[in-house]
Amino acid sequence: MERERDRGKAETAAGGTAAGKMKSWEEWQPQADGGMDELFAVLGYKVKSSDMAAVANKLDQLEMAMVTTMEDGISHLSTDTIHYNPSDLSGWVESLLTELSSASNFDVLPQQIGVRGESSSNLISFSNDKPIQKNRKVIYDYDLRAIPGGAICSSGNEEENPNHEPDIGIKRHRFSPGTEFLDNTSLAAARPVVLVDSQETGVRLVHTLMACAEAVQRDNMKLADALVKHVGILAVSQVGPMRKVATYFAEALARRIYKIYPHDSLESSYSDVLQMHFYESCPYLKFAHFTANQAILEAFAGANRVHVIDFSLKQGMQWPALMQALALRPGGPPEFRLTGIEPPQPDNTDALLLQQVGWKLAQLAETVGVEFKFRGFVSKSLVDLDASVMDIKPDNVEAVAVNSVFEFHRLLARPGGINKVLNSIKAMNPKIVTIVEQEANHNGIVFLDRFNESLHYYSTMFDSLESSGSNQPNSEDFVMTEVYLGRQICNVVACEGPDRVERHETLSQWRGRMNSAGFDPVPLGSNAFKQASMLLALFAGGDGYRVEENDGSLMLGWHTRPLIATSAWQLKPAE
Amino acid sequence: MKRPLAVAGDSNMNKKLKQEEEEMSKEAEAVLLDDNLLTEVLKHVDDGRTLASAACVSKQWKRTAHDDQLWELICTKHYNRTPLQLRTVVLALGGFRRLYSSYLWPLLKPSSSSSSSPPTVSAWPCLPPAPAAVPTRSKARWGKDEVNLSLSLLSIKYFEKMSFNNRGK
Repeated sequence: MERERDRGKAETAAGGTAAGKMKSWEEWQPQADGGMDELFAVLGYKVKSSDMAAVANKLDQLEMAMVTTMEDGISHLSTDTIHYNPSDLSGWVESLLTELSSASNFDVLPQQIGVRGESSSNLISFSNDKPIQKNRKVIYDYDLRAIPGGAICSSGNEEENPNHEPDIGIKRHRFSPGTEFLDNTSLAAARPVVLVDSQETGVRLVHTLMACAEAVQRDNMKLADALVKHVGILAVSQVGPMRKVATYFAEALARRIYKIYPHDSLESSYSDVLQMHFYESCPYLKFAHFTANQAILEAFAGANRVHVIDFSLKQGMQWPALMQALALRPGGPPEFRLTGIEPPQPDNTDALLLQQVGWKLAQLAETVGVEFKFRGFVSKSLVDLDASVMDIKPDNVEAVAVNSVFEFHRLLARPGGINKVLNSIKAMNPKIVTIVEQEANHNGIVFLDRFNESLHYYSTMFDSLESSGSNQPNSEDFVMTEVYLGRQICNVVACEGPDRVERHETLSQWRGRMNSAGFDPVPLGSNAFKQASMLLALFAGGDGYRVEENDGSLMLGWHTRPLIATSAWQLKPAE
Repeated sequence: MKRPLAVAGDSNMNKKLKQEEEEMSKEAEAVLLDDNLLTEVLKHVDDGRTLASAACVSKQWKRTAHDDQLWELICTKHYNRTPLQLRTVVLALGGFRRLYSSYLWPLLKPSSSSSSSPPTVSAWPCLPPAPAAVPTRSKARWGKDEVNLSLSLLSIKYFEKMSFNNRGK
């Protein structure tokens, strides 16, 4: 084992006393002490079994630190280090780590020691904050202590010792008498920022992000600029979902600070493709389609002609399943008409794409034996459409369903947009309106609130991706899904005004709107719930997903956090 | 059905017994080798896994067990009245055996599938996906809901795989 070799080197090079000590260690009886790891005890190291994971983690970090530090780092360790208490393995490693960091050069930028570590993906529990050491001198442009606000401040219990451990319960400084190679007071005096504990840096990362957002809120762009750079450095030390989320948010914040807004055409290009990857990699969109289809199917019961108006056709993935269900319904399939709406593409391929999707659906309809008609509209915004172009037939001839997946929130970007569209929908006289939206409030007036909300939301989202992607973490689907979500993050954080289209609102907010616009809720039946639950079982990480019923609507979430909600509506009966 | 080797008696008796034995094994073979008979027998299998295992016995058994009608019986065993169009639709979308192996079977695996393999088509169509060292048993009770979900997934997959033969104008 490499580590043992290194340790051996350090120990033997340390001199005779150490070697002498080593001999006496071998004579130690392995103590059947409560909780001590026996294998280590045989070698003479007392390590509690409960501490094993943490010790292994530290050894990992030490190895990384040794590899990435300067050339004479190792020799420094091997000559100057005298280890007196071999049983305190964790303490020894810890002391090596802090020694390494104190020996590293005091650059202008904090020395980054690349470390691996488990990412703390539990971002929700912000209350576990670690106090920032007040007596630590930060060689940095802006003293982090200067930040006002609750984001970074000591929670009251200040420690003298920097880099103290989170609750792992390893006692540091359990040195036997005679230890003199680390002077605690000198440690406390001047220390550069050393990022060796990934859990701690994880929390620090979140705090820095929030502090940066606060700085932006207060229009303190200089401070925000410094902080966002700091976030970038901290983010590199993380792994997994936290790193990705932090990177996207940092980029979005930077765009906001420097006012480099993403170009509009860049935003909408490939959005279809990206959503396809999102569709494949996680169950949210499938859940949405299945539950909406179930509601539509039930509303269409008994109708001989049906017309579905889809506000964002994309690749048309929602409709094969509905078509199949219509084909197999008792009494035979109705005549099925689909109207699909898509925004214009920068390269003008929109009409062609619409046509292709329509053609594919027509092929499928012929295969399963359903009479099918398709019509496509290219429209920059739903506001520009109204019922007259839809060729609506009277109520007794044709049943109409309006379907909107992730489209309504965009209408909130322009005043009056949503109301105009809701009125158009009413004019279409639908039997049912199905709405799928993200379950979050990213449309608050205060930027900081939006930021915090979206940080929660997308962290959870990325978390769920991570677990369901454990089989193929680097597959194209996952990478593209991350880009898809990253674009949303960028829009929520960096854009304003009519450009900020990702104005997600919660189900209760939508309920209020629909109610005042003249719609009544239609509860989604138990069939939808059953289908959704069964669907989740097919996904790896299936036990993390939760389907919830909320007053007739269905929500899919990750653990306790709902992320997407499907609801169905009908016109209030005329009085 | 072993005859005791040491049969006391004349060689005539021996010859006769051997002849009988040969005849019986020929009959047995005849039963096993006849496709129609085999199909009849397999029609009574009500469990997909058993049918799939049967398909692994020999080439002939595979041929017979892959008959879509057998799989149709399994997929529709919970329907009181099968929708008239079911067969047309399913055959057009890929057949009942594919419906079972690609979509119904992953749904029926015990819920510990969250930790195990992804729900893709298994490499061998007749074998269930490699179990994670746990003997997989189909869900004891499954019904129309599972079949409906599988049908939806089948149609989606069919749609995804469609390509454009003649591009639009």
